[in-house]
Amino acid sequence: MERNQMHRQIANTRKLMFDQGYLDEQFIQLEELQDGSNPNFVEEVVTLYYRDSARFLSNLDQALEKRPLDFSKLDNLMHQFKGSSTSIGAKKVKTECTHFRNYCNARNAEGCKRTFQNVKKEYTTLRKKLEAYFQMSRQVGPVETAYASSVVVCTIRYDTIHSLHLNIIHSNLPLRRCAARSH
Amino acid sequence: MTVEEFTGSVGVSNEIDRFPIGMRVLAVDDDPTCLKLLDCLLRKCQYQVTTTNQARTALNMLRENQNRFDLVISDVHMPDMDGFKLLELVGLEMDLPVIMLSGNSDPKLVMKGITHGACDYLVKPVRLEELRNIWQHVIRRKVESKSQSKSNNNQEKPSHEGGQEAGSGDPNGKVNRKRKDEEFEDLEDNGNEDDDPSTQKKPRVVWSIDLHRKFVAAVNQHGIEKAVPKRILDLMNVEGLTRENVASHLQKYRLYLKRISQQANMVVAFGGSKDISSYMRMNSLDGLGDFHSLSGSGRLPNAQLSSYSSSGMLGRLNSATGMTLHSLTAPTLIQPTHTQNLTGSVSSLNKFQPVVLPTPPNHQPTNLFQGIPTSFDLGQLQQNNKPNTQLPDFNTIDESRFFNGSSAFPTLGSQSCLNLVSSSSTFLDVPQPMSDNFHDQLPPHSSLNYGHTSSNNMITNTMIGFGSNITSTPSVPLEGQSESQRHVQYGKQSYGQYSSNTFSALVTAASPPNGGGLGGPVSQSNDLICGVYNRSNGNGPLPLQMNKQTHKSNSKLKMGSGENYLPSGYDSLDDLMNGMMKREQDPMIAMDGEFGFDPYSFGSSI
Repeated sequence: MERNQMHRQIANTRKLMFDQGYLDEQFIQLEELQDGSNPNFVEEVVTLYYRDSARFLSNLDQALEKRPLDFSKLDNLMHQFKGSSTSIGAKKVKTECTHFRNYCNARNAEGCKRTFQNVKKEYTTLRKKLEAYFQMSRQVGPVETAYASSVVVCTIRYDTIHSLHLNIIHSNLPLRRCAARSH
Repeated sequence: MTVEEFTGSVGVSNEIDRFPIGMRVLAVDDDPTCLKLLDCLLRKCQYQVTTTNQARTALNMLRENQNRFDLVISDVHMPDMDGFKLLELVGLEMDLPVIMLSGNSDPKLVMKGITHGACDYLVKPVRLEELRNIWQHVIRRKVESKSQSKSNNNQEKPSHEGGQEAGSGDPNGKVNRKRKDEEFEDLEDNGNEDDDPSTQKKPRVVWSIDLHRKFVAAVNQHGIEKAVPKRILDLMNVEGLTRENVASHLQKYRLYLKRISQQANMVVAFGGSKDISSYMRMNSLDGLGDFHSLSGSGRLPNAQLSSYSSSGMLGRLNSATGMTLHSLTAPTLIQPTHTQNLTGSVSSLNKFQPVVLPTPPNHQPTNLFQGIPTSFDLGQLQQNNKPNTQLPDFNTIDESRFFNGSSAFPTLGSQSCLNLVSSSSTFLDVPQPMSDNFHDQLPPHSSLNYGHTSSNNMITNTMIGFGSNITSTPSVPLEGQSESQRHVQYGKQSYGQYSSNTFSALVTAASPPNGGGLGGPVSQSNDLICGVYNRSNGNGPLPLQMNKQTHKSNSKLKMGSGENYLPSGYDSLDDLMNGMMKREQDPMIAMDGEFGFDPYSFGSSI
């Protein structure tokens, strides 16, 4: 019963993420790719995304510090970051990225900085939500598959909001490589 | 095209049936998230997937074993190498279908992908359904190569078809489709005739510079219209080469020429209204004093020239190559409608010359030119809107390699010029197995898709690119281009505008190798081409004389065996040019009317 409740809760959480626009169909695609042979695919991809994208964000931060702003470089960085975000279905993040790029094209420094803050905000919000979601799923999901606490790996150097610790470090980390590389 | 159809064709069924399952795909993307996603999606389609996040690694893998993969999927935006460059290289060297992936759905990028020879262009995020169909590209290539071999039976018809298709909007697609249709019939009709050879998985033929040169020579000998795979094969007399190989190479070559000409046209069109004379001045081509004369010649459409001059590129061109471009512009005079194109192409050719000349130690550069003339479709060149800005950078490269040539091209209009330059550079690369040099030398022109990691490949790529671009170039002595330069990548337009431009330019320049055989407007372009050749040959004045004014300028450019232009490596270029020009005597003379708008009418149209 509790399990059912958990399941329902998980489903609701998930639905909420979609309804609120944090995730889009691409996330569903990821879920569809998850199957027996790839049981933690979604989580793995998301983890990978957070780990890798932190790098972009910190680069963007640095680039935004420079004067004068190199808009084309910013655009390039953002393009890549946006690509990643699109791949996991991070809808709001993607939208903010688009805004950022528009400001970049318009060479609007203020606009860029402002939207970048939004990007970061959406990025972290989504991360929290996803982490919570995965955590829940792990709890109810098949215990056999090791649930990597690795979602935490995403914390990375970029993210200063360490409150996200999703440190549920379970013994078996399916995302071994993520864990290994976490720093 | 359905699998059933394939099954119907003789001997194909075995290969085809296997394809969708277990097809070996190489996925390249620097973004690990996307790469992982792609990997998973491809595995879901039951393909055999290999992934890498580095383009260089991918290239190495591909080069190690050419038969290891059936298809390559690559991201456009990558840090170590531009996706388009990789695309070109793969197409040239390995003749593998390449699919581009990008987060950007900008039609310009899509077009760029297509012109560089991509089989398809997918926008991220990629859906499973889209990936389920990618195997068709592999099949299509096989069918095409089969049809090409079949086309040897009906030599003229298929080649024309292919060429014409190449001229159309989406050469790859259309040609494929037509060929496929034709092929299916043929396959069914011919029965098992070619079963064994065609169904067997043939080892890929690497179109080395020499091979390519022979190919171009053979093509030029026949004239682009009459060049059918069988005849080319016979002329080439290379063991182990099949008609199919030649046929597919020919197709690529045509696409390349077409592309070149298109780019040349675009460049020309782009040209704008700068004063040619100023343009000329801009290019302080060593020894290319004649640009002015070129511009002066009534033939040169001042408008055109000016347009070139306006392009920053010209200004940069200090080398003769720059001058040549001018002369290229001059050719536009040849045909009012085409002039623009010609000019562009011519100029590009001119520019090309210098480039080509210096480097090819083994006369390979000549091949470069060959490719160019054929597809001077000036009208198409107009499409190159990229201003010469790109070319100017070339000037910086003093290596005879393409840079020189490229500088010349700037006159054409940045893009076309650049293409040429890039092409030329590639060509040059071939002789000097340091494709990387080019890159270094080449200022980071985004437009230039040099990316040729291997010199040979590069050159071939460019050459090939040229060929395809310059579909309409007049009989350009393609022969000059070394086979290696030509690498199979005709289709790959990675050189994009540049290559096409350069080729066009080269072509035009090369065309009058016969020493002024060109008459009429064509002659102008020819002159340029010849000029190009001359340079390579070190004959200098020879080609120049060909077409009056234009030639003059050309000759100047060529002057003296291009030493003036290209610091080093000109010799090779000269040789190349010489070779090219000589071979092109007949076509050159024919170039009277349109300057090679029709890819086939290489020499005849003029």
